[in-house]
Parts: sequence; C-alpha cells; structure tokens
Amino acid sequence: MQDDSRPATGDRLILGAVVLLAVLWIAPIAWVVGLSFKPNEVLMRSTGGLIFPPFTLKNYTDILNSSAVFGWMLNSAIVAAGQMALTLVLASLAGYGFARTNFPGKAPLFVLTLGVLAVPEQAIIVPLHTMFSWLDLHNTYAALIAPRLAFPFGVLLMTQYFRAISPEIEEAALLDNASRLKIFFRIVLPLSIPAQATLGIYTFLHAWNDYFWPLVSATRPEMYTLTVGLASMQTNFAQTEGLGFLMAQAVFAGLPVLVLYLFFQRHIVAAVAGAPTR
Amino acid sequence: MSTAAAPLPAGRATDASMRGGIGQPAWANMLFVLPYIVVAIGLVVVPMVLGIWLSFQDYDMLGGWNGGVAFDNYVNLFGDRIFLGTIANTLLFVLMTTPAFVVIGLFLAITLNGHLRRHAVLRSVFFASSVLSVTVVTLIWRLVYLPDHGLLADITGLVGIHGIDPVTSPTWALPAIAVVTVWWIIGLPMTLFLAALQQIPPEIYEAAALDRASRWRTLVSITLPSICRTVVVVAVLEIILQFQLFGQALLITGGGPDNRSRPMVQYIYESGFRDLQLGYAAAASQVLFALMLVAALVQFSLGRQRGEA
Amino acid sequence: MTLLKRIGRLGGLSLRGVSKRFGTLDIIRDLSLDIEDGEFAVFLGPSGCGKSTLLRMIAGLETLSGGEISLGGRRIDTIAPGERGVAMVFQNYALYPHMTVRQNMAFGLRNVGTPRDEIARKIDTASQILEISHLLDRKPGQLSGGQRQRVAIGRAIVKQPELFLFDEPLSNLDAALRSRTRIELARLHQRMQATMVFVTHDQVEAMTMATRIVVMNQGRIEQVGAPMEIYIRPATRFVASFIGSPPMNFLPVTPTGEGGGFAAVRLADGSVVNTAVPSASLSGAGVTALGVRAEHVIPGSGAPARVDVVERLGERTLVYAVTADGSTIVYDEPGHVAPAIGERVELAFDPSHALLFDANGITYHADPVA
Repeated sequence: MQDDSRPATGDRLILGAVVLLAVLWIAPIAWVVGLSFKPNEVLMRSTGGLIFPPFTLKNYTDILNSSAVFGWMLNSAIVAAGQMALTLVLASLAGYGFARTNFPGKAPLFVLTLGVLAVPEQAIIVPLHTMFSWLDLHNTYAALIAPRLAFPFGVLLMTQYFRAISPEIEEAALLDNASRLKIFFRIVLPLSIPAQATLGIYTFLHAWNDYFWPLVSATRPEMYTLTVGLASMQTNFAQTEGLGFLMAQAVFAGLPVLVLYLFFQRHIVAAVAGAPTR
Repeated sequence: MSTAAAPLPAGRATDASMRGGIGQPAWANMLFVLPYIVVAIGLVVVPMVLGIWLSFQDYDMLGGWNGGVAFDNYVNLFGDRIFLGTIANTLLFVLMTTPAFVVIGLFLAITLNGHLRRHAVLRSVFFASSVLSVTVVTLIWRLVYLPDHGLLADITGLVGIHGIDPVTSPTWALPAIAVVTVWWIIGLPMTLFLAALQQIPPEIYEAAALDRASRWRTLVSITLPSICRTVVVVAVLEIILQFQLFGQALLITGGGPDNRSRPMVQYIYESGFRDLQLGYAAAASQVLFALMLVAALVQFSLGRQRGEA
Repeated sequence: MTLLKRIGRLGGLSLRGVSKRFGTLDIIRDLSLDIEDGEFAVFLGPSGCGKSTLLRMIAGLETLSGGEISLGGRRIDTIAPGERGVAMVFQNYALYPHMTVRQNMAFGLRNVGTPRDEIARKIDTASQILEISHLLDRKPGQLSGGQRQRVAIGRAIVKQPELFLFDEPLSNLDAALRSRTRIELARLHQRMQATMVFVTHDQVEAMTMATRIVVMNQGRIEQVGAPMEIYIRPATRFVASFIGSPPMNFLPVTPTGEGGGFAAVRLADGSVVNTAVPSASLSGAGVTALGVRAEHVIPGSGAPARVDVVERLGERTLVYAVTADGSTIVYDEPGHVAPAIGERVELAFDPSHALLFDANGITYHADPVA
C-alpha cells in the first residue's frame, strides 16, 4: 500500500504495534543468546538478571571441547552440499527438457512431476526406510542425500525459469548448428545462474535443517547430522545440568544458518516466495 | 479435413510457444528429464506403492513378514483410541494454526509492504525464525517454557502469576506447540502475501485515491479482493504443512501429557520406528495422506466458491 | 574478397505445395513460390497472414505439414536448421547475452569446426563491412539497438550462407534509424549479391528494398511481383488496399453496360465514370467496386464532395472529402495548397489508372503499356 507521504496517526500506531510484535518475536532468541553467556551455576538459581554480570564464555568452550558437535556439522555439511549439487544437476537438466524440448510422453511425465509434489514426506517415510533397510544402505551419506532429490520443487522452478528465456536465442543457436546439448551447456545454463543460486541456497538450507529422515536413517552417532545430534542431547533436560550450556548449543547450532540468512536473504526469500506457487 | 484459415495472433504463436518446445520431437530429448524421473519414480512412486502394499501386510521388523492381512491394520487403527486421539489432535492443531497464519501473515504483509528501510528490517525479523531448524527452535522454546526458569515463567512472574507450565498441562500442551509453530514459520505466509500484494498494479490505488477512498475502504474493497486467490493458496498450503506436525511435538511435549498433544506423524514414527510394526505404521501413513488430501480439497473448493479472483 | 563472392549455384529457393496446419488451424495452404538466386524477396502482409511462419519453416524452426522446400536444387525441409546453409536475423536480434560480440559471431563457425584463424578472418571482414569492429569485445547489453542489429547481421554474414532470412528486423528501431538501416540493407544486398528473404508488415520497407514482393494474406500468396508492378497492377483488392500510402480509394459501383469497348461504371450518386478497362476482359462475377489512388483523383469537375479533413505533410497535402452517399475519397494536392474544411469540391478519376474489382476481389486493369 502506498503510504510514502504523511504517515497518519493510524499508520504510526499500527507500525508501533508491529514493532512491538517484532520485539516479542526476537525475545526468545535474544533471551537464549543472552543467557548462553552466563555460568550454569548462576542459572540454576535464577534466570533473571540477564543484563547483569557475571558473564562467561565457558559454555561455548565446553561446546568446542565436546567434539561430537563438529562431527555433526561435518555430516550436515556433506549431506547439504551433496544434495545441493545433485539437485542442481537433476533439476536443471529436467527443467530444460520440460521447458524447451519435445519428446514423446512429455505431458504425462510432467504430470507425474506435479503429482510427486502432492506426496508428503511422512506418507512414504516408512516404506522408504524399509527399502533402504533391505538394501542395507542406512547410516550412509548416500541414504541421507538420496530421498530429497526426488522433491520436484527444483524441477518446477527451473522449468519456469527456462521457459522465460527468449526462445529466439535458442533458435538462433539451432541455426548456428549447435546440438541440443551444446545449447544447454553453452547458452541456456550460463543464463540461468540466478535461478541456480536461488535453488542452490534453498536446497542447502533445507538439507541442513532436515530432521525426520536423518532421525530414522542415521541411527549411529557418528552419522548424526546436526539436527539429530542436537536433539539427542536434549533428552536430559529435566536435570538442567547445564542450562547455559544448552542455550549455547542452541546458539551454536542456529548461528551458521542465521549467517547464511544474513548474506543470502534475498535468495532465500525469493525461493520461498516461489516455492508453492506452481 | 481442411477448415477455414483463421488469422493467428500476431507474433510468436507457432509450434514453439504453443508447445513450449523448440524443434522437432525426438526420443533423445527425453534424456534431459530421465535422470530426475528415475529418481522420482524410485524414491517416491515406488515407496508409495510399497507403502500401500505394506499397509495390508503383517510386517514386523522383528518378526518378519507374516503374510497379508487384508484390512486388519486399518480396523485395528480405528479401534485404537490413541490413534483416534492423534487424528483429533492433528485436526485441532490445523484449526488452531491455519487461521493464525493467514491473519497474522496478512496483517504483517499489508503493514510491511513498503519501500522504507524500517519495513525491510521488520520483514527480516519476522522471516529470520523460519531458517532455523526444528531442533534449534524446539530447544529455544523448551527453554522458554521451563517452569520457574524459563522466559515465560520470568515474564508471568513479573505480573505475579506463578506455576505456569504449559508443557505438562493437558489443555495447554497443544496450544503451546501451536504458538511455537506460528512463531517459527510466520515468514512463509507473510512472504507469499507480500508477493501477491506487489502484483497489484499501483494504478488501482491511484484511481482509488482519485475516487477519494479512505484507507480502510481501500483495504477492504480493493486490496483484499485482489489477493483472494492467494489467501486460498496460503490456507491450503498451511493445512498441508501443519498436518505434517512432528518435530515440535516430539521434542517439546513428547506427545503428552496423556497423549493430548500427540500428532499423527508422531504416531507413525513410533509405531514404525520404535515399535517396528511396519504394516501398521504404513496403514497409519495412508490414513494421514488421505486426510490431508481431503482437507486440502475441501478448503480449495470452499475457497473457489467464495470468490474468483 | 572471398567472403563476398557468392558460390555459384543452380536455382535459388523453391517452395512447392507447402502447407502448415496447427491443430485444426490451417495457417498456410498449398503455397508454391520460386525465389531466384540473388533476389531480395520481401514477404509482405498483415499480422497473422503466415509470413513469419513461412520464414521459420524455411529456416527449419517449424515443421512442414505438407510440401517441400529446396535451396540450390537441394531439398532442405528434411534436414536440421543448422545444416541448411541458411542464416537468420531475428526481430529481437537474439544475440547471446553472456557472450561478447566476437564470441557471438564465432559461435556458429566453431560449432562446425572451422579453424581459429579462419574464424578470425571472417569476423574481421564482416565487422568491417558492418562497421562494428570497435564493438567486438563488448557484450550485447552494452550496445544500442542499432548496433545490436548490426551484430545480428554480422553473425549471419560470417556463416556465408546461401540464403539470408530477416524476420521484421526493422520493427524495433525508431523511425530515423529505420530509414537509415533500410538504405544500408539495400547496399549490403548489392554488395554481397546474396539471396535475401525479408519479412515485414510495412509496405514502405517492401517497396523500397525488394526486387520482388510476395504479398500474403491468410496463409496464401495474393501476388508476386516487382514493387512497381504490384503498385500499378495489383492483382486483387487486398493487394491494392495494402500497398500504397495513403490507401487506395474504393468506391462501390454498378456497371452501366455502355461505353463502347471500355467499361463504364456508375457511382452511388448516379454519376458515370469511364475507365480504360476493356469490357471484353470482364468476366464472371460482376464489377462491384472502383479503385483509384489518391494521386489519380483529379479535383476540378466531376462527382461533388465536401472537404472533411486536411492533412498537410509538407511535400504534399492529403485531402479527405466525403461524397453525397457518405464515401470518403482521399486525394493529393501540392504541399502549398490547403482547401478549407467544408469547402465543396468536384472530383474526377483518371480513366487510365482506374481499376475495377469484382465480388471476388479480382482486379481488372487497363491494358498495360508495352
């Protein structure tokens, strides 16, 4: 809505309400971050006095000493990178195929892709798990990476993007005696880099944050991803042995993603905006 | 058969644009989509079929396959009070969260749809929480919900209320999860509404201004009807997403107390991966899938009737 | 310069019985046409007449529903676009945005394995002809519209094709640039002596550049001929109305049956107009309209009319006058003359340039001179 000129009092009030809401929104995160710098003993007594000393970095050094966290992060990174790379490859190829080429059976295959969109992860996770058990593939990177590759969002995004490229450019390339494959690699792909960036970041983010499938597939502690590992440490909550330590863990696990968000906000938001609208 | 020639729409209305493709059809072109199709079939279609088959079997990870049992799994499911409870919980959860998502998301989108710095900063704030993983989010909110030590306890303590513990309260456990969920993913509906709002041509607002329309009038008569279709899309989307509730429930309340906050997906998880009764879990998965489809279809057709954009 | 010498070949472009159907839509019906080596043929017609589709079928970007296309005696409609010896300049230039001008021009040559130094030579020659040598290392995004168009032409020239195709290349240029480019294209054609097929809806472009014009309407060829021939002797009413600015005047008439060896017709207001069309040449369907161009309407004495609109163009004045029965006739006056609106005039029609049209749109002309 246009409201550039003079903000009416009604506008100011509403904006004020939104700012208040925003403060409430940040509150949990800010609170956790703040308390992560307080020693555990202090917190056992009370969680008030957020802004007063004492402060400590001990919680964080404790994390750094507990080497498991880094193993988890490494696993998450490998899985996320693998999913990102493979998704980009599969989605770009398929997207181009659907957008710009003709072949027998193109329409039913596209309908199939759309249909896959309607199937939620939870509906097939049990049989998927069984399949991988039969193949004895659990607790491998392959098993962690594979299932999400079937997610059609990437294909649909790339199809839309390739369709938007002027067909004349590819026709000119056809007349320049370029093969289909050459057109794909030398002409179309370089022009789709913005879409690749968006899809890549989105895929990486979702792979990093994935929980359900790694939970059931990576059952050995050395294969835990960050999400699973972090959840496994929360079972001793009742003891509150280290409230500050827990808080630090939350911050530590959330930091990489928030940094990613800071740098790539535009891409992430763009991907989300395009996600469900097919 | 020859028909009278009709003039084409000017320009590109030829094979290429009408079919979306260029050049002659060729089998070789299928190789572009083949890798993805293979993956999709292998990792979605096959499991789906397998899941349906499994739901009719007595398949126990420990005891092995004991043959087909027709509809026994389904009959047992609907006789299981806990399972029925999870259906109720899930439906309740969807009913709690979807309107919240739509209303709050729309409110934020409308108020923050501006070019000024403060709008962008505020949008960032509300979107930021959605990039966190479910484990980070649940960790944060478990800490917030801690009785006596949590942020909630601190705040209510300020106004003299003590002993607040939503996680262990049968009535408040599910709403507590709902609050977490809305906090977590408000960025999604907000972004979708923002995109829709930005599609409205500015000239319409200028015309309304010339017609001396008040702010409220503009909102109700122009803005809202223009994004009618998006509201339906967002509602359907949220329904589908919230039916899939899992991590928040598992990690914050564990499904209790008294099974009052256990969602369907958690039931599937437990029967499939804890109790290892695959056939039974597969049947529950099919029920979930069917419910989701029905709910989405209902909402979609309701939205269709209410107004065509 | 080897680039400019055209390879000797038999025959130019030949279309036989070409048709194109899309679904149930007949876009082109049974079209046959011969374009000779070295011609500058222009496909002219309104939007939707099929001229672009025809061009794209020659290029290989559309399939044929029927018929054959041959180039230099060799059938080409069955081979891939890149192998037909055809180059095309697109309406929006279709340059590769991420490549430099040089790379754009080299792309086609590299795909067929041309050696590096030969590619460099050809690019040099072509860019000199088009005066784009100083732009070779820029990307299309950094060029103006006119420069981009030259690059598009350059990309076509380096391939030394047997046939050049132009798909409305001037429509994206502003008026001044358009007339300049027209001249340059005409010069290019003379210099290279290549066969060129040019598609446009602008009859001025067609008249000024073509050696022959192919006038198309609704998927069919209405007439093929040299520009002046089409102008003076349009074969159908459509061609007569499409060519020439301002458009030809058409007046509803009925034949009078007298006039000796030449047909005479009666206007709506009853006055009789004599023509130089031999009565013997009239056939079948009766005459229904009289056509006469603005420059062949003679103000003086004749059918009465009232001046309605006056357009002063500088070098001439167009006067739109309305007759008693409501028909509008436009005629020419010298630039310094400007009748007042509402003024009464009387208009006569030069018999030797009057055309008669029957109900099917066929034209009947006076005998041609020689």
